[in-house]
Amino acid sequence: MLERAGIPAVSLCTDAFRITAEAMANQLGFPGYQYVAVPHPVASRTEKEIDEMAHDALPEVVRILGAGLIIRPVD
Amino acid sequence: MTSAKETPVIDDAPLADPAEIRRAMEYYAERGWTDGLPVVPVTESYLAEFLATTSRDPDEVLIPMPHLNKNLTVRLAAINAALAGCLPEYFPVVVAAWDSFLRDGMVTRAIWQSTTGTAGFVVVNGPVRERIGLNCRGNVWGSGFRANATIGRAIRLGAINGLGLKPHVFDQATQGTPAKYSCCIGENEEDSPWPSLAADNGIGPEDSAVCSCVIRSVLHIEARHTTAPEQLAADFADSLCRTGALVRPRASGYVVLNPEHARLLDKAGWTKQDLRQAIVEHGFRTYGQLAAAGKEAIAAGTNWRLPGDHPDAVAQQPPADPNTPVQLIASADAIQIVVAGAPNAGVSSIVETFGPFDRQPMVVKVEEKK
Repeated sequence: MLERAGIPAVSLCTDAFRITAEAMANQLGFPGYQYVAVPHPVASRTEKEIDEMAHDALPEVVRILGAGLIIRPVD
Repeated sequence: MTSAKETPVIDDAPLADPAEIRRAMEYYAERGWTDGLPVVPVTESYLAEFLATTSRDPDEVLIPMPHLNKNLTVRLAAINAALAGCLPEYFPVVVAAWDSFLRDGMVTRAIWQSTTGTAGFVVVNGPVRERIGLNCRGNVWGSGFRANATIGRAIRLGAINGLGLKPHVFDQATQGTPAKYSCCIGENEEDSPWPSLAADNGIGPEDSAVCSCVIRSVLHIEARHTTAPEQLAADFADSLCRTGALVRPRASGYVVLNPEHARLLDKAGWTKQDLRQAIVEHGFRTYGQLAAAGKEAIAAGTNWRLPGDHPDAVAQQPPADPNTPVQLIASADAIQIVVAGAPNAGVSSIVETFGPFDRQPMVVKVEEKK
């Protein structure tokens, strides 16, 4: 929806919701829509584990954004 | 023993080719247009009988679901009512049930896609109950009554086929609830000492009405032990406030009283409002009880309950005394009372809803085409 409005966006979901994510993409007329699937679950993880998940997912997020961004480590 | 000479008896059952019947059943099953049970085949002419019971335009949208590119129209609702096994004369009740779901607002907020796995709950009041044989007496949650079974099922099939909420795809329920097959009851107005849910919401005795909402479970309440109204109220409040039900800060639900409990309360001079108020008064857990289950704090953003040491928890100073009460039922508006079942034992039930917490339920008049 954001991308239809011209705002670059990346959808994230956990791998437990892959079937729904793909059905949603088809239903809204975007078969093959690229999104990032992270490991399930999220709710029961610690803050540190969530940070690690975000770190691991970031290159894929940037790739899908396709903006040629360079990832720099946080100082 | 049947003797070989005995004349075969042809009873009045309709003659049909069983292979054709099975072929029709499998046609629907293979397309996933069922809840798992066989459905009734629907032809244009049979559909027309349903549409003839309402003055609503077949293309009128009852439930919009724009994020799924889906609209449940009157026509789709009728097809699914027919598939569910409804008789055409049940259809005005199904339409009113969908109208009530729309006004309630939870279904259009995509709650039926949620992992929580909620069901629709439909309460029917008024003369239509008698006309269509909708059970409001013994075994009210149980099986055996076509109107209850198929009106509730029409809602589920409408969700699956009309809104596209197929399990494992757009219905992401972790476990769901048996109420997802069907959950429709009548109020036992005849055995109730009090005004009905419909009467409380401005519906006259000559009219019929439907009230729908989204529920998580139906809990059995065994309470044959007392004639003290306060003890009954405390027993109901305890179940409504169980920690396992607490996602959000507050609890809400229906108390479905059997007529014996209702009469007991009435005899003691209690009105429905008195019972609701007494449940509010007992509607708390102590801080220590909530903390034992890790639900003493509220998350920033989601407003969900979680442990006080969770990074998302809104900072709060724990009370010095762990026995400090935390109010879980905010007001009488979080509790609805319906009388249903047989007047034969002190057995009632609690229906755990997803709200409303602070407003009247959405009671909708049944519009039957004259």
